[in-house]
Amino acid sequence: MHIPDNYLSPQTCAVMGAAMVPVWTKSINKIKKEIPRAKIPFLGIGAAFSFLMMMFNVPLPGGSTGHAVGGTLLAILLGPYAACISVTVALLIQALMFGDGGILAFGANCFNMAFVLPFLGYFVYKFIKDRVKTQKGEYFGIIIGSYAGINVAALCTSIEFGIQPLLFKDSAGRPLYCPYGLSISIPAMTIPHLLVAGVIEAIFTVAIVRFIRQVSPETLYEDAKQKNNAVFGLVLGLICLTPLGLLATGTAWGEWGKDEISKVVSQGNTLGYTPKGLLEGFGFQSLLPDYAVKGLPEVAGYLLSAAAGTAILIIIFKVIGNIKKE
Amino acid sequence: MENYKLEEENLNIPLWLVQEEDYIPHTDKDTFLNKSIISILKILSRIKTQDQTNTGTHKINVTLKVGFTFLMLLLLSFSKSFVFLSIIAVVILLILSSMDGKTITSILKITLIMTGFTFLVLLPATVWGNSYSGIMLTTKVFITVTAVNIISHTTRWSQITGALKRLFIPDILILVLDITIKYIVMLGDFALNMLYALKLRSVGKNRNKYTSLSGVAGTMFIKSKEMSEDMYNAMECRGFTGEYHVHNSFKITIYDCIYIVLNLAVVVLFVYFQSV
Repeated sequence: MHIPDNYLSPQTCAVMGAAMVPVWTKSINKIKKEIPRAKIPFLGIGAAFSFLMMMFNVPLPGGSTGHAVGGTLLAILLGPYAACISVTVALLIQALMFGDGGILAFGANCFNMAFVLPFLGYFVYKFIKDRVKTQKGEYFGIIIGSYAGINVAALCTSIEFGIQPLLFKDSAGRPLYCPYGLSISIPAMTIPHLLVAGVIEAIFTVAIVRFIRQVSPETLYEDAKQKNNAVFGLVLGLICLTPLGLLATGTAWGEWGKDEISKVVSQGNTLGYTPKGLLEGFGFQSLLPDYAVKGLPEVAGYLLSAAAGTAILIIIFKVIGNIKKE
Repeated sequence: MENYKLEEENLNIPLWLVQEEDYIPHTDKDTFLNKSIISILKILSRIKTQDQTNTGTHKINVTLKVGFTFLMLLLLSFSKSFVFLSIIAVVILLILSSMDGKTITSILKITLIMTGFTFLVLLPATVWGNSYSGIMLTTKVFITVTAVNIISHTTRWSQITGALKRLFIPDILILVLDITIKYIVMLGDFALNMLYALKLRSVGKNRNKYTSLSGVAGTMFIKSKEMSEDMYNAMECRGFTGEYHVHNSFKITIYDCIYIVLNLAVVVLFVYFQSV
């Protein structure tokens, strides 16, 4: 579910990052209030735990393996706010150190995996647990919560991918980022999660919570009695609104095409005309008519190719040398 | 007399030990155990080699490196010009070629997997006639992943967090990041030992192996809670008040100036090709 860079437009990344700021602030404040003692080591070690959780391979029927994300599990063990921060830190280390998940797309990845997944999973779990007050009810809540959490997170990811070709096109109408629309991205992301990843997540979560409940029940996170419904509604609302908000913004502000600029509304009045400079000025339409090294003097083109060739040859020889040494 | 009898009894090897046995343990599936062990080992070795990174050949100030890499990723993402992409790709390849063979191999492994994956994902779009996305995105992913991996292979983690500090990331987050890296190694070692134990003790068919895996993960969680309490107590004993400051000096050398000029040139190229 880690989105690499360049699949999403920088604008989308900025919107997702901005959406995460209040979540992070709220989480840190909440943690400070709930666990004033030992809060910092707790966060760091929680992040290390969540990082390692993703390394555990779970057997699948047919001899293959898959790995769980563990977002809902962390929320049940540490509380949703601490889980949010822990997953965020784990994602940051993955992006910076292991190149897994983009740096610009960090906000989007956090939104899906550090916000939607643990919060939704936790509140579904809590909702069921508070109504069915038996142990079976609790485990039922864990299963539904973790299954729902990972699937809704996958759905959010696919929506972020799917709106790219709608919003970001060049002058020739070609998509600039992820080229697949919602009709392709949603089934491509959600079907594997509904069938495989969601099941792994649910089984893994239940098994671990059961183990800890038997061995050391006092370490589990106990939520202070609070009105969860309001928060639950808020989370659901936010999740539904964010992709819609992205859709509604249309062309990013300041990035209107020539045909669009006449429709730009300013203080209630539409602009009604296309600025002349835009019509005649620097020719936007000539952007990348083909991929030849156009727009570059011939000499520079040669130099560039020569440099590329040299670099590639050196790299090949060094790699061969390294393989031989081993 | 009685003593002698006892000794004789002791000398006799018990019957069950003398019996010859042909015990061949049944083979059992344990791919998931091996895979878990390998993925944790990979993480640990990556962190440990990263800690010994020789930063001698790349003398550029880490803050500048991190800051400009971020800027370049942004420009790349916005760029619509294939010429600009080619120039950046060549620059990245030149930087890569200046590194040693082992590092190049490990960077290229990650890069090629990511680029190959992107290529496969975009293949249907290319076949349907949208070759623009296929070519542009694959190139962009190649450059981005290589650039990020060059940074992470030439810089120690402590330097990266130091650079983040100067790029206005709050102190508390940096402390958490540092603790996380340290404890990924400690908890990882701990988990590895448990996985080895599970593997060694599972002779023949072991039906409880799957449930034991959740035990390993669960124990890891309980251990992590204990560790965090121990660490907090240790910090408190040493006078930790909850405030954390990073001190370091910021000097600009001649290499940094060259680096800044080169990066400004990249920005100029971006602006030029964006408007061509």
